[in-house]
Amino acid sequence: MEGLAGAALAIALVGLGLWTLIVRRNLIWKLLGLNVGASGAVLFLVSLAHRPGARPPIAGLGPGPSADPLPHALVLTAIVIDFATLALALVYVIFLTESRRTQDVRRLEREEGEWPERLGGSR
Amino acid sequence: MAGTLRREPVTAAVAGVLLYLALGVAGLLGAGRGTGLLAILGGWASLLLWAPGFPLGTLGGPPWGVALAGDTLAVGFWALAPLVHAAAWWHERHRSTTFHGLVTLLVGTCLATVLSRDLFNLFILLDLGSLLGAILIAYDLRSRPVWAGLRYLLLSALGMLVYLLGLGLVYGELGTLSLVQIAELAPGLAPPALGVGASLLVVGTAVKAGVFLIGFWLPEAYRLAPVGVVTLLAGLAGKMGIVALARLSEALPVGPAVAALGVITGFGGLVYALWERDLMRFLAYHILSQYGYMLVGFGLGGPAFAGAVYYTIAHCLFKGLLFYAGGSGIEAVGVREIPHLAGRLPRAAGWGLALGTWSIAGLPPLAGFVAKEFLGGLVPSPYAWALTLLGVGTAASFSKILPLLHPARGHGAWGGVLFLGMGVVGFSAWGLASLPGVLSPATWGKALAAVVAGYGLFLLVRRVRVPLPKVELDHISLAVLVAAGLLAVAHLLVG
Repeated sequence: MEGLAGAALAIALVGLGLWTLIVRRNLIWKLLGLNVGASGAVLFLVSLAHRPGARPPIAGLGPGPSADPLPHALVLTAIVIDFATLALALVYVIFLTESRRTQDVRRLEREEGEWPERLGGSR
Repeated sequence: MAGTLRREPVTAAVAGVLLYLALGVAGLLGAGRGTGLLAILGGWASLLLWAPGFPLGTLGGPPWGVALAGDTLAVGFWALAPLVHAAAWWHERHRSTTFHGLVTLLVGTCLATVLSRDLFNLFILLDLGSLLGAILIAYDLRSRPVWAGLRYLLLSALGMLVYLLGLGLVYGELGTLSLVQIAELAPGLAPPALGVGASLLVVGTAVKAGVFLIGFWLPEAYRLAPVGVVTLLAGLAGKMGIVALARLSEALPVGPAVAALGVITGFGGLVYALWERDLMRFLAYHILSQYGYMLVGFGLGGPAFAGAVYYTIAHCLFKGLLFYAGGSGIEAVGVREIPHLAGRLPRAAGWGLALGTWSIAGLPPLAGFVAKEFLGGLVPSPYAWALTLLGVGTAASFSKILPLLHPARGHGAWGGVLFLGMGVVGFSAWGLASLPGVLSPATWGKALAAVVAGYGLFLLVRRVRVPLPKVELDHISLAVLVAAGLLAVAHLLVG
């Protein structure tokens, strides 16, 4: 993919993800939006590494210019971090669904007073 | 030759970080709570080996080495971290080895963050800190803390997404991620990509730091976390976003934006703190108003940077003490509202709150007074006036907890109060000795006048009730994007 097209697609993905994150009330939708946005950021970094006519940054692929290897290395780490964040957030969503019987952010935000525990409580 | 001489402190510092992280992993795998204590000793030992500091160093060879800096800020946090860790360890000593492993990992992450001078390295460490923080906040698996932890996780993921985009723009423009090299290039914000990128970096980090409105995950999370965890957050881990903002404003010309954020967060947090009745949430709102001092100092740079370093370390000590005393008192009594706690706190909590309150209100000769005078003397006049006003507001909001300072019965948890109290007293003594300028009667009179003015303001505001809007998750997420957009436009116009 050409670098500019990649960057444009990346920005579109980030916009779509953030829109979902802000507008949707359901926690699962919010997490999906966040992840689409994160994929957009990853694509943005990869498209930065693009150089016209370059080969992938792998040693031994032959002569000629290669794409910038640094963003590729960064992207690997960023993907791992996104994965860890999503996994932990999903654990919390499962817990809240079981104990509060809701995934609606507005209800979670506006419930006042004590929250009775339906599960075992503290470990 | 100079290069090899400079490498040794770098090696000692990196070894200290690795030891901390390794002991954290060992604790997670079930090696016992003692790993935390070993890590505390190892951390201090490593600090002794590199204590005078090193100007700059790299981990790994060029061109991909990660830049490190052992400046005053790093040395201060390294001296502070084991102390706060020790207080948290003592309070949570009955918890599982998993918990202590996570705490050790979090402290190790903080030790690495203060050394780092690399944009992507900072990104990883801040994210790791958020993940560990979110796990620890919700560690008891009760639904309210879990919700607070999830809010924190969502907002910090959003902040880090914004940060990553900014990182890409800056890298695309300058071709380096090392803040040292960026500072040497001394870029202006004239290239549009750089102006937008720097704005995104600042806003993303500010979300993580917990700046007013865009980082409003902070009050609920600090209110509901276990006592040891909130001590650690308030005294160490929660300041990592501020440290990252300091590093950014050292390298990129975003200082004015950071200082402006500081003024906004200072007064915003103060307004919420003035009318809050829940003790822990009150202390948490108050952290925001204290961020004002730090960000103004770090943002203005130059001599004010040193003042802000000083203020940050002092703040970590007495804010950690306040949260520890307040939290352990609430644990003992079982209620959270300030009026209901009056006269019911155990002695340790009462004394801890008293020392923290006098210090934060700027009563001479305690650490807060020294730090405020030092920083106030180094910033130019409009900012100095803003900081004085903030000081009056601090005294006013803390007048509210004066009834809590008459402790009633029982001893309570002395351990952490002693650790952190010694820290506050030691820091005050060291500050007075190293800054003889603040000993003049005029500064004492001025500080006392500010405290009295604050008490007067308190008598006025407690008669009125201001319904402050409740800030919800969606508002904060939207505010993050709006703030990023506004800052980017401002930088484009200036550039």
